[in-house]
Amino acid sequence: MAVKAAKRTERVPQVYWRDIGGRMLLTNDFGSYAVMTEAEFRRYMKTGAPPSPAFRDKLGASGFLRERLDMEALAAGWRRRNAFLFAGPGLHILVMTLRCNQGCLYCQSGAVRSPGPGTDMSWETARRCVDLAFASPAPAITIEFQGGEPLLNWGVLKKTVDYARSLEKKKGKPLSLALISNFTLMDEKKAEFLLSRECSICTSLDGPADLHDRNRPFSGASSHAAVVRWLKYFKRRSDRQGPGYRIFKPGALLTVSRDSLGRGREIVDEYAGLGLEDIFLRPLAPIGYAKRAWPKIGYSAEEFSRFYAGTLDHIIALNARGTRIKEKTASMFLEKILAGRDPGFMDARCPCGAGVGQLAYDPRGQVYTCDEGRMMGWEGDDMFRIGDVRGLDYGRIASAPASRACCASSNLEQQPMCSRCAYRPYCGVCPVYNFEAQRSLWGHMPSNGRCAVFMGIFDAIFRALASPKKAKILAGWTAE
Amino acid sequence: MKKETTLVVDDAIYSEEALKLAAYVFEDRFRTALRRRGARTEVRFSGEGAGDAPGEFLNEALNQQCRLDLMKKNSKVANIIVTRMLLSASGGNQKSGGKK
Repeated sequence: MAVKAAKRTERVPQVYWRDIGGRMLLTNDFGSYAVMTEAEFRRYMKTGAPPSPAFRDKLGASGFLRERLDMEALAAGWRRRNAFLFAGPGLHILVMTLRCNQGCLYCQSGAVRSPGPGTDMSWETARRCVDLAFASPAPAITIEFQGGEPLLNWGVLKKTVDYARSLEKKKGKPLSLALISNFTLMDEKKAEFLLSRECSICTSLDGPADLHDRNRPFSGASSHAAVVRWLKYFKRRSDRQGPGYRIFKPGALLTVSRDSLGRGREIVDEYAGLGLEDIFLRPLAPIGYAKRAWPKIGYSAEEFSRFYAGTLDHIIALNARGTRIKEKTASMFLEKILAGRDPGFMDARCPCGAGVGQLAYDPRGQVYTCDEGRMMGWEGDDMFRIGDVRGLDYGRIASAPASRACCASSNLEQQPMCSRCAYRPYCGVCPVYNFEAQRSLWGHMPSNGRCAVFMGIFDAIFRALASPKKAKILAGWTAE
Repeated sequence: MKKETTLVVDDAIYSEEALKLAAYVFEDRFRTALRRRGARTEVRFSGEGAGDAPGEFLNEALNQQCRLDLMKKNSKVANIIVTRMLLSASGGNQKSGGKK
């Protein structure tokens, strides 16, 4: 456990530390890190001087030597890494429909089978959601279409895409569009429309066919086949590009269920075989429906950490052999650790993005702090609801109890364990998770599953960074 | 079956606020009644989940107490961060002439 510098170590500026398997990791508020042997660490903490001449420049430039603190440069770096503090909600998640044609074992989004009152977003509501998104103080916005399966509400989705692009021109605010679909309803016409509007496309891929189809059953047919077919299509289109508009590489999201745990290599090989350059090893969260299904599909943080570390090693090994594929959580954290930039990762910020970095809009036009909060609302607890899109502005959004409570409770400066954690400069807590898992927005970190998962992820990343060969590969995962 | 358990805690270690916050966290699991007894507080748990209550309650009370103690040290910087974030989210940067 890292402890803030006490009086006896006052020669050392405030640092945090953690044993990462026999070596000591040091971090500081400026987001810098250093790795030392235990003997070097003891010498540094005792004297405040670099433990060897080789460390002098690195420690000096990164805020670890009191006599060489360049506060102006360090503060500029801090501000760059925390740039989100100076922007408003940039991510706007529109849940186009609660309906879905798949019955995923872990579905966290509260999907329903048939249409009913409030299951589909009307055009009128969608238009108001886009208007509110464009009124955001954020300098650029992303509108993400989600569900259920958003293609089940294609007519409204199509109109919304065109309306958003027209507002982008009118208001001069840069817009990114993203669609998350299971591809079972995709066809050439829809694909062409989305590509021509520069909408990035993402799907779910849980690994090889047997695993994917078990996790994501689709009325007798293979959901994996649809995913693979359309991933290849979008990849082909992206590789070729074409005149008139940019075509983004397709993306895929992996949800790690209990059945995935022993199959990390196969899953990565499936992604690499499809030419995907990113894989997002996302742990399940006991939120919404997944909370009820947890005894069947869940696992411990330790089990996930082992899976993550082994799978990350395999991904790094593939890169060493020439295959380009990045693990998305790692690449987002590396953006902070190595490049000192904010990757826009809402789940790992201080404070978290709920209400202040992102908003989620349900089909009825109810606005929530985030999609996780929206799922809780669907399950019957509206604790994270901000209000109705028809009566909101950003003053009301920021002053809503849900936004303020999330902002205050996810501030790591006030979390007993987090405030002293070596991973604090890069991490973030989730009030919705805390509330669902521990009935408190603040959570209780010593027994918090998400904290243990993030610790495992950071341990794996920093252990890899301690190896020069692996560090070189990981450095290539940050944005150009 | 209705159960009842009692715990006595030292006020020098746990503040009234920490105990109240911990009681609130578990309000859906068991009922908690707090009563001052000199320099101590008696905590009485009742209801279905009262059997396991003392251990979980003390963990949460400790968590809340650590957080409150930390707030005394860090509240200034913590408030600056939260205020900055809420101001940005409200569009306050723009209203004040865009000065950042």
